[in-house]
Order: sequence, then C-alpha cells, then structure tokens
Amino acid sequence: MRKILIVEDDCALCQELKFLLDNAGYLGMILEDFEHAKDEILLTNPDLILLDICIPYMNGELLLRELRKETQIPIIMLTSLSNESDEVLSMSFGADDYICKPYNPTLLLLRIEAVLKRVYPQTISYTYHNLILLPERGILKCKDESLILTKNEMLIFKYLIIHQGKIVSREDIIMDLWDSEEFVDDNTLTVNMSRLRQKLKNFGYEKAIETRKGLGYILL
Amino acid sequence: MNIKTYIRDQAFVFIFFFLMCILIYIFMIFWHINQSLIFFILGIIFVFFLFTFFYNFYQRKSFYTHFDSLLNELDQKFLICEMVKEPSFLEGKILYNALYDINKSMMEEMNELHLSVDEFKDYVEMWIHEVKIPLSHLNLSIYNHQFQSKPSILEQVHKIENQVDQVLYYVRSQSAQKDYLIKSISLSQIIKNVIKKNKDYFIYHKVKVILNNLDYNVYTDSKWLEFILNQILNNSFQYTPTHEAIIDISAMKKDNQIILFIQDNGIGIQKSDLPRVFDKSFTGHNGRIQKKSTGMGLYICKKLCQQLGHHISIDSKINQYTKVIITFYDDHYYDVMK
Repeated sequence: MRKILIVEDDCALCQELKFLLDNAGYLGMILEDFEHAKDEILLTNPDLILLDICIPYMNGELLLRELRKETQIPIIMLTSLSNESDEVLSMSFGADDYICKPYNPTLLLLRIEAVLKRVYPQTISYTYHNLILLPERGILKCKDESLILTKNEMLIFKYLIIHQGKIVSREDIIMDLWDSEEFVDDNTLTVNMSRLRQKLKNFGYEKAIETRKGLGYILL
Repeated sequence: MNIKTYIRDQAFVFIFFFLMCILIYIFMIFWHINQSLIFFILGIIFVFFLFTFFYNFYQRKSFYTHFDSLLNELDQKFLICEMVKEPSFLEGKILYNALYDINKSMMEEMNELHLSVDEFKDYVEMWIHEVKIPLSHLNLSIYNHQFQSKPSILEQVHKIENQVDQVLYYVRSQSAQKDYLIKSISLSQIIKNVIKKNKDYFIYHKVKVILNNLDYNVYTDSKWLEFILNQILNNSFQYTPTHEAIIDISAMKKDNQIILFIQDNGIGIQKSDLPRVFDKSFTGHNGRIQKKSTGMGLYICKKLCQQLGHHISIDSKINQYTKVIITFYDDHYYDVMK
C-alpha cells in the first residue's frame, strides 16, 4: 500500500483528503509538526507527498527545494495559488505536478496515480476468477487464451472488477469513462456493455455481469 | 493664435491708443505747438507702441503655439506640465504655475486612487485564494460521502466555483501586469480538461458532447483558455433545452489560423442582441427572460482573448443554435509576446 503524506495546515481539509486517499486504497498520513517539517517528512519516508504552498513556519516552495536536495520522493503541489509564476517556480524546484484548488477529487486521484505510475513503474493487472485484465496492453487473458478489448470495454470491466460484488449505477460507469476522456453517452454504454458481455461469454462467464433494473450493474 | 485674432482681442488697446493720440494732438494744437513737431512726437510714440505690441504678440504666440501643438500630440494631456518650458511673461507664468499645482494635486489624487484600487485587487485575489480552501473541502466532502441530494449540491458548488473564477479573471483582465504564459498547447487536451471539469453537468443532464477534428496545437495560456472555454460551456448549459441538448466542438485550420467552433442547440441569441453580447453588463433578451445572467462572463472572455491575441465572435440563429468562434493566429504569437 502506497503511503501518501499530506502537508496542509487546514485540519478539516486534511481529514477529508485522508479519507479520500484511504478510500482510494492508499495510506493517507497527515504531517503534524510543521516546525521540523523536513526531518519529519524524511522520517516518515512516504511514497508521495501532497504539498501546500501556504504552510506555517515555511513556504511550501522552499520546503520543496530543501527536500529535493536530499530525496527524490514524488511531490505534487496542491495549492490555492493559481499564478503562473508559482507554478513555474514549483516545477523548476522539482515538483512532479501542480494542482490548483478547488480540485476535482477524481482528477486528483488520477493525477496521483499517474505520478506514481511514472515513478514506480510496474504492470498493474486485475483478476476476476481465472480471468486476468492487463489494462496497459488492453488484453483480457484466460489461461493461454487472450482477447483484445477496446478502451471502453477495458475501462468498464476494470471499474466493475474494482467494485466487484457491489451495484454500480450507469452514471458511475459513465463518470469513470469521462475521467479517462471517453465522453460516451447512455446509448454507447449500452452497446459497449453488450460487447463486453459477448467477450466474457467466449471465456464462459456468460452471466458474470448482471443487470439490476433501475439500479445498475453488478459483477458477481 | 495669429495676428488677426490677437489684434481683435487687443482692440481696446488700439482704441485707447488712438483716443490718446487724438487728445495729445488737440492739446498740442491748443498750446500752439509746431505741427511737424506734433507729428514727430506722435510718430515716435506710435513706433514704440507698435514695437511693444508686436514684442508681446511674439512672446505669447511662440509660447501658445508650442503649448497647443504639444497638447495635440500628447496622449495623456495631463503630462503637459512636464513637457512645456516655463514662459518668460507674467500671464504665462501664472498659467504655468496654476497648471503645475493642478497637475500635482491631480497626480496625488490619482495615486491615492491607484493605491486603493491595487489594495482592493490584492484583497480580492487573497480572498479568492482563501475561499478556495473551504470550496475544496466542500468538494472533497461531497465526493467522500454518499447522500441523496448529492448531484444538486455538487451543481451548486460548481456554480460557486465558476463565479469565484469569474471574479479572479475579471481582476486579472483589468490589471496591466501579465499573468500568463504563452506556449504551444494541445487544443484537444484543454477541451477535454474543461469537459471533465463539467462532467457532472453533462452526465446528469444528459447533454451529448461531440468532439471533431481537434488535433491542433495553439499558442495560448492553458489556464486562461480553460477559463474562457468553461465560461462558454456554462453559458451553453444555461441556454440549452432540457431534452436532447447537444454541444458540438470542432476546429479547422485555415491559412495560418486555427478556428475553434463551440456550438449548442440552445435557444439562440436575438439578432439585435448579437453585436452587443461582449459588452460589459449586457444581458439582452435572454438575460431578461432567465434573469440569471450577469453579463460579465462574455465580457471577461473577450478581454482575455484580446490580451492573448485571439479573436472571439458569436453567431446565432434564434431557437436553433449559438456558435462561439475563437480564432488562434499562428504568427500573432510574437505580437503577444511583445
């Protein structure tokens, strides 16, 4: 589980951020001692840092520069300052990304995921019974056989696997697709869904995805 | 100032002079002074009179013509004091000193005003950064927790965000300092970002989005363009029907221009309103029937476009469509950088 350290002085916001990260499968941690921020950070040794610019005792940009002298931990600047100059300064000090408040939570998670993927490359795969989904190659494997999925089918199946056993509404799936820049409408989802079912049928999982009327879909 | 007008202005001097000459003449005749001596004396007086008259005229003429021509050339007329030389004659000196004092007091007043405007701008910018913290908090809370009226609350929060953004960019569009960075940016990426930002609205209100032919790079500032496109999209949301709403975004290349079209199938804009949609506080017919419009969004968009060197225009047919057209110029890049 990836450790993500939140450096932010607004307590209530910290708690919500931690909640968001925990729900997304990370281990969210909150920095409490701002006076010795650098040592504290190095001590906790997180996998990624979310850093605000306006923090007590020190400016976030200075802290970033200090940290960069000693470590290459990925750092995402998370700030309410939307000036070009702050962004340029942060990036030149070695930040991995710069996100302005108020941010969209899903986009924040996506950008965290993107940075982590870049820094700690590994092939991510999802399994469902004896099916293996390889999103990076767009392939669904069953033992030695493999099938090529389209991007939409792959995204839908991935979302269903992550939420296996829970009902997901059509809106939820569409939201997820839009986050990956596939701006599909209701009809397209229906078409993609039936294609995905067809492909699953090839591997003998004909009834894996069930439709719950008025609620959505469920992967059994 | 020419000799004719000056003589007309000084007519009473001439009248008095001639009256004086006649009086002197009559008195001298009365005292039995030799006629030729009288004419000689009057001649000397006349020559000296003419000399002083023309000397005065020349002094004034040289000062006032200089003054007038400077005033015409100057862009900011109040700077005249800095440009003009102090004249050597009394009236001129009085004028000069008066102008100097007036100018000084106006400068002080203006400085004070500038200062207070700047202070206010700083305060607004600071306030915006402050208000973004509770907004992020609200956003996260809504995302983290499931509850019944989630979509409608999310929509309201988005509206607040948009309004706050509008204030920020209004302040920025008014200030002379350039807070943008022009780079070559993928048009499709920016449009996708804006759509993602508004996905909740698109999905809950079943607005169909069509993207076509957007693989171009344009020279612009990404944040500013995102703001502009966001404003345009939100305008479209306000004025599209609740059923079968479609927003069609496409681009084309023409010579060294890239033209972006954002078209909706909304209620459209009346032809008589079209030339004025970019005016400040203009709400027009649609604003009157919906009563939600502030008339600021498009005004700010236009301002930002001007600063970025893009051209923005609107075409519309009532009850059929509204089309926003933004033109990016390739070679205007260097103009903007200046």
